[in-house]
Amino acid sequence: MLVEIRALSLTLGYQSILHDVSLTLGAGEIYGLIGPNGAGKSTTIAAALGLRKRDGGSIRIFDKDPNVDAAAIHARCGVLPEQNGFYDWMTAGNYLAFFARLYGQDRRRGDILDLLAQVGLELRVNQAIGTFSRGMRQRLGLARALVGNPELLILDEPTNGLDPHGRREIHDLLISLARRGMGILLCTHLIDDVDRLCNRIGIISQGCTIVEGNLKDLLESRNRGTQFRLRLTGPLPQGQRTLSHVAIVSRQDEWVEVNLAPGIAAADAWRELLITGWPIAEVHAAATGLEGLYFDLIEEKAP
Amino acid sequence: MSPVIILARKEAGELVFSPRGIAWLLTTSAALSVFALLLVGSTELSLLDNAEVVYDMAGLVTALGALLAIVVGNDSIAGERERGSLIPLLLTPMSSRALVTGKIGGLAVAWVLMLLIALPYFWAVGSTGQNLITGIVGVGFLGTPVVLGFGLFALGLAPRLSASRSSLIAALIALLVSSSPLLIGASLRQSAVGRVFDAINPFSAAANAFDAVIIDSEPLSAQAGRLGLTIIWLAITAWFALSGVRHLTR
Repeated sequence: MLVEIRALSLTLGYQSILHDVSLTLGAGEIYGLIGPNGAGKSTTIAAALGLRKRDGGSIRIFDKDPNVDAAAIHARCGVLPEQNGFYDWMTAGNYLAFFARLYGQDRRRGDILDLLAQVGLELRVNQAIGTFSRGMRQRLGLARALVGNPELLILDEPTNGLDPHGRREIHDLLISLARRGMGILLCTHLIDDVDRLCNRIGIISQGCTIVEGNLKDLLESRNRGTQFRLRLTGPLPQGQRTLSHVAIVSRQDEWVEVNLAPGIAAADAWRELLITGWPIAEVHAAATGLEGLYFDLIEEKAP
Repeated sequence: MSPVIILARKEAGELVFSPRGIAWLLTTSAALSVFALLLVGSTELSLLDNAEVVYDMAGLVTALGALLAIVVGNDSIAGERERGSLIPLLLTPMSSRALVTGKIGGLAVAWVLMLLIALPYFWAVGSTGQNLITGIVGVGFLGTPVVLGFGLFALGLAPRLSASRSSLIAALIALLVSSSPLLIGASLRQSAVGRVFDAINPFSAAANAFDAVIIDSEPLSAQAGRLGLTIIWLAITAWFALSGVRHLTR
């Protein structure tokens, strides 16, 4: 395992930030760490890199403790942190050459150009970073994370500020890096990124891991048939609250969430409901897939 | 190449090539220009004898150097932290201690640049007398530990305080208090409190040594005690800066 975190707990000042976070990541895997704002994703990463001291639990990165062997871990690990500042007075090429030297590598100009080409910045090698857009800075941050030939890549919101084309390019790059055996820990709010890239996920909320595992297995385990949200213009008809093909999951104000029984066509179900007097104004497909799983689990966890 | 040297070179480059570093050096140069013009052009000040003028210039260069060192020291930790560029450095294989040592190298480069900028001004105000070399050597020997000490103090303060402004203001207040021998009258310095303060203050030690070697023409070797005090100041602030390492990730 490249990363093994068990029952991690951490306090900042007098506030407990992490209570019970666990995750494991192996070589060649892309792991998506997702959760709402303030859930503790970035703090988990900071603890994993030895930037924060944990109160309890265990962290092993390359089978080393980050609070003891931080430098050894950093040498094999590329990181795109949440706070991603640059030296605006440097050119992109000089900036990467500076970081390469800190990793003990004497990168030649050709190597730097190759690195910049991987993130689509090869034409900007002599351009001052101060003139870069947010998306270009994000790409440069990713190139910096790759400068030490890492075995593990830890990325905090890597596609922030990127246009759709740029996002796709970064997705393709990450997939190709994982195929070459690199482990990638992706911390993001963008469920779409996780859905597209990750084979394992962990969802954390309020400092606790709610669920962790193989994405495909998790989705299959939570498959509950087809779910819809209906907006009603009035009350449900008496005696029609239970139907053979439609199960009411929840009701809030004018919205009703229903599950259709397997094999039932949605159009047939709506027709049946309208005939029996349901005042349906709108029909929306409820969140399914990873998004549905995410919202279900976060709502279950909410106090 | 050692990470310490790589980082010190980056710090030096930042001072010379970044708009921020250039602005600091230009401001320093402008302050020296104004002071030199006053010494040469003002009717009253131009009546000062050559030794007095070189002594004043030595005090000013040391005070400006300490000011520059505080600004550079504070910015290299607290400024980088606020701009988000400190974390990527902390995530390289370089140890935190090496990082701080590299920043200290940057401070030394800043002081050398400041001395180089000051040389023509020393020459402009002191070339007609016998005290020019004594003044420059005095600043080199006694000013260096005082100036670097203030830079190290700022470097140690920055990781301990949460905001760049807080650490900068705290370091500037320390400089103001310490450089008060240049600001307050001789009678206040002769009071009991003034004498105690003079005895432990590294800035006073440097100013009194400048007085002795430039104005009273005493040999530099007779200033060993005062030099010792400035070295102790340098050692304490170096310990303070290096022990701030554990606060870097707050």
